[in-house]
Amino acid sequence: MENIFRFDFVENNDLLIVVGLIFSILVFATLLFFIVGKIKPSANLTELKARTKSWWMMATLFVVATIINTKISYIAIGMLSFIAFRELYSVLAFRDADRRAIFWAFIAIPIQYYLAYIGWYGAFIIFIPVVMFLFLPLRIVLKGDTNGIIKSISSLHWTLMLTVFGISHMAYLLSLPEIDGFKSGGRGLLLFLVFLTEINDVLQFTWGKLFGRHKIIPKISPNKTWEGFLGGLISTTIVGYFLAFLTPLSGFQIVFVSFMIAFSGFVGDIVMSSIKRDIGIKDMGNTIPGHGGVLDRIDSLAYTAPVFFHIVYYIAY
Amino acid sequence: MQKLVLNIIYSFLLRGFLKIIVGVKFSKADFLLEEEQFIIVANHNSHLDTMTILASLPSKITHKVKPVAAADHFGKTKLKEKLTNFFVNTLLIQRKRDKENPENDPINKMIKTLDDGYSLLIFPEGTRGEPEISQPLKPGVALVLLSRPKVKYVPAYMKGMGKAMPKSDNLILPYNSTLIYGEPTSIENVESEKILSQIQRDFIDLSNKL
Repeated sequence: MENIFRFDFVENNDLLIVVGLIFSILVFATLLFFIVGKIKPSANLTELKARTKSWWMMATLFVVATIINTKISYIAIGMLSFIAFRELYSVLAFRDADRRAIFWAFIAIPIQYYLAYIGWYGAFIIFIPVVMFLFLPLRIVLKGDTNGIIKSISSLHWTLMLTVFGISHMAYLLSLPEIDGFKSGGRGLLLFLVFLTEINDVLQFTWGKLFGRHKIIPKISPNKTWEGFLGGLISTTIVGYFLAFLTPLSGFQIVFVSFMIAFSGFVGDIVMSSIKRDIGIKDMGNTIPGHGGVLDRIDSLAYTAPVFFHIVYYIAY
Repeated sequence: MQKLVLNIIYSFLLRGFLKIIVGVKFSKADFLLEEEQFIIVANHNSHLDTMTILASLPSKITHKVKPVAAADHFGKTKLKEKLTNFFVNTLLIQRKRDKENPENDPINKMIKTLDDGYSLLIFPEGTRGEPEISQPLKPGVALVLLSRPKVKYVPAYMKGMGKAMPKSDNLILPYNSTLIYGEPTSIENVESEKILSQIQRDFIDLSNKL
């Protein structure tokens, strides 16, 4: 049992505080929607309630998978990549001639996560954007069907980039070496990244709902407003500042990193929105009630994970 | 023995594989428990179709549903025939009718299997077609329904299977695909053409729900 479950996080107050915080927020949201629903039965809260319910599931899964044991975490994050990759490539209308290359792209997922697991930084960082990006076109070219080959190659590359390369940085956080005097380690960094990214999504959504007037990019995402964007940016940065104990960073650095997470989270969101708009679908699926597919939930992480990782890696490691 | 093997293969192994790796979304098939006997009528794009439908069935009735398959394809050798009959629980028929030899006639074979208490799984398109393009239906299923009008048919529609494993390629790739069931229906018409067009309409209705 000890190999499967590591309960040492119980002794690590920093992690415990944030886990407690996550579930307090969920309790608060659940109670809030319950009470508002009782007072104002006319208010349409079905979607918000479904979302909150799904958040309970996701938060529990995340805490179990990442805090309790790190070996399971690599597999869990890898599965996340796998499902997201499958969702995105399924709607991208690849040709039959691309199937062998897509097969190899699937094989790349466990390899990328294995590289993260053994902590081979050099290979991890070039495996997808160099090795796979050069190999996959060759596999497509060998099929000999040049009609639409540019679209196939670039779609496959971009799918790998969004769903595997970006997300796998979450796993590599867990393989970072220990630093003297920084107790929370990779798990703290991962918790910080995911919590801040998701709270940024929620805050931008909330600010936008409450005060949103001026649309920011109506052609891509009609619900995104300047008020939501700026409100989220500022409040996320403040939240990040108070969670600095999860990272080895100091005052100004943590403000910068939090700001960058909030900003790149927004970018990831609108990039995925524009892809969905091009294909003509609203959501990537209905795996998570109230949210859509898995990719609809982790679209911001595809941007925040590598941005956060490389800033922290540059500053602290 | 065969019941246990079929249960392990379909309700456990294949269901897990199709759900987690391939990414098939099943609609619930528990309502089939209420029917004594039925004929599942499904569109056909891939070898995965049979596997998916068998895996979607409640484990209690997995062994009671016989997929109808072409003898010239799956019964090429005695060994292949034995293996498919055991592991896929198939009813192998020939594609052409046989008036001189009633025991060998595909329609009679299907009716006899129904009389033995089994349910059937029929792909009236006959052979696997292009993904998401429907082909004209063959009349066999209508003839069977006409001679056993008390048996209901259950339309089933699958999308994406032909992308996960197309006819031209034996490599299975994960692909987000779906299986949905329609309502169990009794036939009202006495003409086989009308029954076929009713089934065709059921397929279109189901595909519009996806």
